[in-house]
Amino acid sequence: MSTKASSRSTHVEAILGRDLYAQVRNVKLLLVGAGGIGCELLKNIVLTGFGDITLLDLDTIDLSNLNRQFLFRKKDVKQSKALVAARTAQQFNPSVRITPIHANIKEPQFDVAWFRQFHIVLNALDNLDARRHVNKMCLAAAVPLVESGTAGYLGQVQPILKDRTECFDCMPKPIPKTFPVCTIRSTPSQPIHCIVWAKSYLIPQLFGEDEDGGDELDEAEKQGENAEKIANLRKEAQAFTAVRNALRSGSHPKPNGSTTRSRSKKANPNGDAAQLVFNKVFEADIQNLLSMSDMWSNRAPPVPLNYHEILNDSFVLPNHPETDAATSNGPFVPQNKAHTNGHNVPNASSSSTASGSGGAGLKDQRELTLRENLELFIHSTNRLSMRLNSGEDTISFDKDDDDTLDFVTAAANLRAAAYGIGGKSRWEVKEMAGNIIPAIATTNAVISGAIVLQALHLLRKNYGGLRNIHLQLKPEVPLNGSSVGAPAPECGVCRDTYVELLCDPSRVTLGEAIERILGDGDDEGTGPRDVSVYEDKRILSDPDFDDNLERTLESLGVTRGKFLTIVDEDGEWGNVAVAIGVLPPNHPPNGPALIPPFPLPKPPRLSKPTPPPLTPNTPPRKRTASVMGGDDDIEHVAPPPKRTKTGMPHINMASPSKKKRLEDEGLLIVENPDEKVDDEPELITIDD
Amino acid sequence: MAGICRIRLAEERKQWRKDHPFGFYAKPAKAADGSMNLMEWEVGIPGKAGTSWEGGVFKLNMTFPEDYPTKPPKCKFTPALFHPNVYPSGTVCLSILDEEKSWKPSITIKQILLGIQDLLTDPNVHDPAQSDAYTMFKNDKAAYERRIKQQARENVPK
Repeated sequence: MSTKASSRSTHVEAILGRDLYAQVRNVKLLLVGAGGIGCELLKNIVLTGFGDITLLDLDTIDLSNLNRQFLFRKKDVKQSKALVAARTAQQFNPSVRITPIHANIKEPQFDVAWFRQFHIVLNALDNLDARRHVNKMCLAAAVPLVESGTAGYLGQVQPILKDRTECFDCMPKPIPKTFPVCTIRSTPSQPIHCIVWAKSYLIPQLFGEDEDGGDELDEAEKQGENAEKIANLRKEAQAFTAVRNALRSGSHPKPNGSTTRSRSKKANPNGDAAQLVFNKVFEADIQNLLSMSDMWSNRAPPVPLNYHEILNDSFVLPNHPETDAATSNGPFVPQNKAHTNGHNVPNASSSSTASGSGGAGLKDQRELTLRENLELFIHSTNRLSMRLNSGEDTISFDKDDDDTLDFVTAAANLRAAAYGIGGKSRWEVKEMAGNIIPAIATTNAVISGAIVLQALHLLRKNYGGLRNIHLQLKPEVPLNGSSVGAPAPECGVCRDTYVELLCDPSRVTLGEAIERILGDGDDEGTGPRDVSVYEDKRILSDPDFDDNLERTLESLGVTRGKFLTIVDEDGEWGNVAVAIGVLPPNHPPNGPALIPPFPLPKPPRLSKPTPPPLTPNTPPRKRTASVMGGDDDIEHVAPPPKRTKTGMPHINMASPSKKKRLEDEGLLIVENPDEKVDDEPELITIDD
Repeated sequence: MAGICRIRLAEERKQWRKDHPFGFYAKPAKAADGSMNLMEWEVGIPGKAGTSWEGGVFKLNMTFPEDYPTKPPKCKFTPALFHPNVYPSGTVCLSILDEEKSWKPSITIKQILLGIQDLLTDPNVHDPAQSDAYTMFKNDKAAYERRIKQQARENVPK
């Protein structure tokens, strides 16, 4: 070690003590993620002197990363995050070794054996799926893990050690908010309902796969089902089919000035696809809903919109009570000439953001008038239609795809207008539809510091020092450490008994694998017993389903990096999770096709289930809402803890006998509950 | 997938295999690779005896989200059904399948199917999902009943 390196380490050594520092120098560490947290954390561990660092990230650098991912410069945009971060951080401390890997942690070569080479794993991830995966791999490999996440000003750190602490999956995670189908399709009451409708219903219907069951109807007709009924259903389906066809036929006018390829068919105003879509979803469908009068007995009914009247500014929305508030700032009052004078759809290019003129700056942040929304709707529909005609099979919503964002903005606002709900600017729609939460560099820095401290506790086996760290919005306790919980007894991930089966999946059958894992029961293993076998969410076999036992693991898709989960049919033994690994390189080609684990797994004996409580009806245990984010432009945000219902739901049963019957079954039907939706930001997902 | 989801569905399957109401069936769908998909179930719901629905067994797909049982499964008749609370796509609109309303994680698959069976004979006019069935149910009960009987005949299991 050079003098320089020694002097660099002088302070660290003084702080950690000679022994711990020596240990740190010899630690082989895996850091998963080189984004917002990852950059901060890499700097920390390099300066702390961790001697052998493997850094993995699948992503490339984006311009929007540069405000906080300080290991990157503008010239690095589009390059591998792992490679650039490693190169930059290497200069901070030449005495550590950094091995960057530009890959997805879920790839099969990163199997249990690969994880086992590390002394500790640090997560700096931005999505639930990868977090769950690394958690499981670390449990299977018995490697300690430090999990972390940030969202805005909130952050958390969780040390995880199998059989000693809770694992990542011991606690239920906040679930992204979804809305009931009735609210979205028929009775929206908030802007978000209209946005979800446009993004998750209308776009798939118009531009997605044709899933509306034309085939099913054909099949039904073949089977001789009632022709009239089929005709009715088909009419419904065909209304969309006609619109879908129009969008794909190119029989719409080109947006002005568009530079896209010329089309053989002549523009035909009557065949205008955008107008067809509009007339179906904003006029005919709404009229159809209005015909179901009971639905509107205690709700404000929607108003069908009129295409031409909106375009010539003669359309007038009746003032429902809600509309007054919504329109006080003008967006949907066509008479408000101040806002309706413009044809704001830029004609310049088909890919430009069409949302608005507004002249100065913040053009995305202005709410559009009804007419502007219609114009944006027409323009974006035409652009999307043109893409279908240019060879794209399907288009789905992407917040960074301007065409779809414009379409969702316009369609959501038109629907909102029909329902007397306030509109949203394109900027707001992007945030709501894309579930965007800002990432803050300082939060990442604080959390990265806490990760190193927890990692040091794990390495020293100072388990009393482990804490779950929360960075929170409480002025009196901005940074809080709480003691770590014991593993949840019912956890479906960390309570499994993990073993590794080295094999050639093309030569081992499922039945053989199960038999070898269970053993003969004489001196090892549990012996043969009735089991169900799963791979993730697939059932491969159970006592009533033995079709696959003679098939090879490979033919069942059970290959390197996958897990077989063996579940005891009678609930007497704990689950066994079998990681599939490869045979060692020196294994003779004609040797046995599998090497069973040694010793064979002996999962814990479970107390004979008293008729298994089918329902873990306990509401999920909740603690401080965890932050699920990692960092990146977008993150997961925890939804607020389930709101407590105020009072009893209003029960209005059709008949006493029915009520009784349903109660007997443990069911109650609630009619017309006052719809309650909270406005708090729901935590969600997403990022690149 | 969260562990809880698989554990719960495996338990639901085990319980159903041991015991289920007469005339119903429910099983995970067979995938092309020969496995069964725990997240997609194919079920059949018999119309109640003594009603216009008698004799028919109505096919329905249940799709379980990753967050089940925190969130309810989606239930969709295939093909779509003529019924006021069934969307033209076949999706069932029922309060116990709505997490904003009466869904609770403790509701079992058996309870859901019995609840949908109840809904067949007892439509909820306050939450109509298709106009054809709704309008006929409101305006011409006799025609509605005829139509339901016809539909039951078309859905007699072969």
